[in-house]
Amino acid sequence: MTQMEDQEKQLEFALASVQKQGVHMKMCLDKNKLMEALKHASAMLAELRTSLLSPKSYYELFMKVTNELCYLDLYLVEEFERGRKVDDLYQIIQYAGNIVPRLYLLITVGLVYIKTNTNLKRDLLKDLVEMCRGVQHPLRGLFLRHYLLQCSKNVLPDVPDNEETEHPEGTVRDSIDFILMNFAEMNKLWVRMQHQGHSREKERREKEREELKILVGTNLVRLSHLDSITLDKYRKIVLPGILEQIVSCRDAIAQEYLMECIIQVFPDEFHLYTLNVFLKSCCELQPSVNVKTIVILMINRLTVFTFHNSNASEVKLFEVLTEQIANIIQSRDLPLEDTVSLQAAMVGLALKCYPDNLDYVDKSLQTISDTFAKRKIEKISHKNPVSRELMALMKLPIDNYNDLLLVMKLKHFPEIIEYFDYTGRKTIAIYLLQNAVQCRTMIPSVEQADIVLTMVSPLVKDQPDQPIGEEDPEDFAEEQSLLGRFVHHMKADEPDLQFKILMAEREHFSLGGNKRICYTLPPLVFQAYQLALIYSGKREQDELWEKKCRKIFQFCHQTILELTKAELAELPLRLFLQGALTISQINFKNYETVAYEFYSQAFTLYEEEISESKCQLAAIILLIGTFEKINCFDEENAEPVRTQCALAASKLLKKPDQCRAVAISSHLFWSAQNNVGQPLQDGKRVMDCLKKCVRITKQCMEVSVQVQLFVELLNYYVYFYERGNNNVSVDILNQLIGQIKKEITGLTPNEETEQITKHFENTIAYLQNRIESADTEDSVYKALEGLTL
Amino acid sequence: MCSVLVIGDMHVPFRSSGLPAQFKKLLTPGKIQHVLCTGNLCTKEMYEFLKSIANDVHIVRGDFDENLNYPDQKVVNVGQFKVGLCHGHQVIPWGDPESLALLQRQLDVDVLVFGHTHKFDAFELGNKFFLNPGSATGAFNPLNPDIIPSFVVMDIQSSTVVSYVYRLVDDEVKIEKIQYTKK
Repeated sequence: MTQMEDQEKQLEFALASVQKQGVHMKMCLDKNKLMEALKHASAMLAELRTSLLSPKSYYELFMKVTNELCYLDLYLVEEFERGRKVDDLYQIIQYAGNIVPRLYLLITVGLVYIKTNTNLKRDLLKDLVEMCRGVQHPLRGLFLRHYLLQCSKNVLPDVPDNEETEHPEGTVRDSIDFILMNFAEMNKLWVRMQHQGHSREKERREKEREELKILVGTNLVRLSHLDSITLDKYRKIVLPGILEQIVSCRDAIAQEYLMECIIQVFPDEFHLYTLNVFLKSCCELQPSVNVKTIVILMINRLTVFTFHNSNASEVKLFEVLTEQIANIIQSRDLPLEDTVSLQAAMVGLALKCYPDNLDYVDKSLQTISDTFAKRKIEKISHKNPVSRELMALMKLPIDNYNDLLLVMKLKHFPEIIEYFDYTGRKTIAIYLLQNAVQCRTMIPSVEQADIVLTMVSPLVKDQPDQPIGEEDPEDFAEEQSLLGRFVHHMKADEPDLQFKILMAEREHFSLGGNKRICYTLPPLVFQAYQLALIYSGKREQDELWEKKCRKIFQFCHQTILELTKAELAELPLRLFLQGALTISQINFKNYETVAYEFYSQAFTLYEEEISESKCQLAAIILLIGTFEKINCFDEENAEPVRTQCALAASKLLKKPDQCRAVAISSHLFWSAQNNVGQPLQDGKRVMDCLKKCVRITKQCMEVSVQVQLFVELLNYYVYFYERGNNNVSVDILNQLIGQIKKEITGLTPNEETEQITKHFENTIAYLQNRIESADTEDSVYKALEGLTL
Repeated sequence: MCSVLVIGDMHVPFRSSGLPAQFKKLLTPGKIQHVLCTGNLCTKEMYEFLKSIANDVHIVRGDFDENLNYPDQKVVNVGQFKVGLCHGHQVIPWGDPESLALLQRQLDVDVLVFGHTHKFDAFELGNKFFLNPGSATGAFNPLNPDIIPSFVVMDIQSSTVVSYVYRLVDDEVKIEKIQYTKK
């Protein structure tokens, strides 16, 4: 038979006997045979003498028995109220054979006495709680006293013990004494369980004790329900009484549970005013007690309480806690992670209750820093529990302030960061920047920018303690993008100051190496371009604005060249082009030369560094599109560039690319402006471009490509005609349309040719539409042929 | 009815630190069926953000996108409409309606969505609808000194497109409605 089956069997027997005796008892009571009934009750209660049951089974049995006893209790109350004189009953029961049934019966009868004659209350309660000492077996004793506590629940006196008035029924003081004694006795019984039986059964015993702890704790709950316990009484009698028992029992399980119990059941206001006593007792607990958990529980309770009660501020909570925690740390050998998490709770308290007092948070940080120094700690691995606790602490001010500038005011924050290893520091760096970006925090000075960029240094540059090996490229890109985003948050209102910030940033970012600068320098360049526009807007107020603009573009020029040194081509090309556009918007002295320098740098990158044909096409289109918008060059500079662009376009590798790029370059001869301020509108040069396109198209081998390009070119001709280019003649249009119509019918029908046909149809429809709406007689469209398909 | 988010030119991280909080609050999952993005996101996180709004996301490549998988142009069918999508830096002069009309005829679309200028624009030309959602982050553009962050939501129902233009003016979201009906 297994142990469990054995238990079940034992319980079954016991329950059956209780059932049987209970039925007899009730039958006797119904016949008014009280003495007979008591005999059965006694027999029923005798089942509780067993030593064979586990706490769980014993509890079940106890419930069943006490349930049956209710019947007796009800009967007795009824009889007593009817005036039946049974004064001697209490005496008679004293002679019941065994102590366990006797005491249960005494409690039952005694409470009936109290209910019917309240003057007996004080003496009887005292009597009962004393008599229970007769049972010293832990399990039996605990349940017996639990029964006592349960029965007395509604009769405990709860009136203040005023000295001037008589209180024959007792006062709250009697209740306190009663419960404290019951508590002390129960705790002793509970602790004694630990020392019974064989040492190899320690684990089982502790599990059983765990199951029984609530019986002991109920005493404290009962105390907390007494309304007449004032703060004064709690401080002078209740708390010292409880603490004395907890400390003196020298049992870790009991101490840990009961200390937490105190925190949970009594009002926070009491805790606030008895904090010193409570925390001092913490120093005296057994070494294996987890004091950290107890203290943090207390701090968290008081944090919430203080936050909601402004009048709580009369207690110097933070100071008291700081002092007591220091004592606890000194008196006990706390693990480092526990001292850190204690400080984290303190930081939580400071942030929530004293948000304006940064010194409090700083003080906790300093304590940690001092502790680390004392314990000669240099670096903490991210795998170490201390790192985890410390990380949680560091995140608290970030999350609570939601303002990086405030976090930076904490003097000891940066020095704590230094204790983390590379992974830890990077985690904090990311956390700081994410918060700043999310909260749109602006960093308004060089000094502050320096501090932040130093704090987030694992993102800015390689670290000496960085582990060797490839980082995850996606993570790396994400981290660097975050840093790039943050560049837009280092911004001063005053332009001169802003420029200084940009220069300071570049010093930091230049140390990042090739893999980082492609993320960090471009935002810097764009910030600088914006700054130049700001100076341009202040030209009336700042007479040095031109010099400053020049300096900014020098700065940008250098910065972009750093990217080219990192063997990048397309990115610096685009940045140079954006620069040229910006410069052309700001009419400062010699700006044309500066713009030309930027544009020619871009062009050089195109010629020398970009070799892949697809990238070449994209780049030349960007060069052309940008030049079309730059209007600061005089004709002497502009003319060679246009020609260069068109020439470069015609030199692309693939014919269709050549054709399209040259066609696009035709815009440079039409809508583009030089510094005179008029569109060039050189109809002949436009025609030269387009004619060249036709020639290139004819060289294409594939018919479908040819037709497609012809349709595109037809659209170009129409475009420029409508823009007033008189060189476009109806003959050219007719020729093209004729050519397309001839070829298009021969195309193999497929998705591609269908698109070409559709494109052509749309073009014809457009032309027809133009003819219908043309208001002038001499419209070239009138002479168009073959517009029916 | 079908709601299409039209958005682009965010330029994160080079020109902007991110979308305005007011826009982020509006751009939540469940309201939008398709996303059309004119490009220049430029980060993967921005792509993931768009993907979180609707599963069907179409993106074309902007001049600052490093992602070579984005095409230069794309045609998307939504209800009765053919919608063309192109960043627009390839259409010269930038933002020029007649040049864009060339592309519209080539792609054979009813609606042409484009970007690059960072300035909201919407017009009809030859009964075709042209739409530029502007820059959702209000990213810097040298040619356009006063940039207002903006995006557009197109509600498409049978042959009508109702475009709601969301613009952030002085930290406040202003909404404007534009209707286009295909003949």
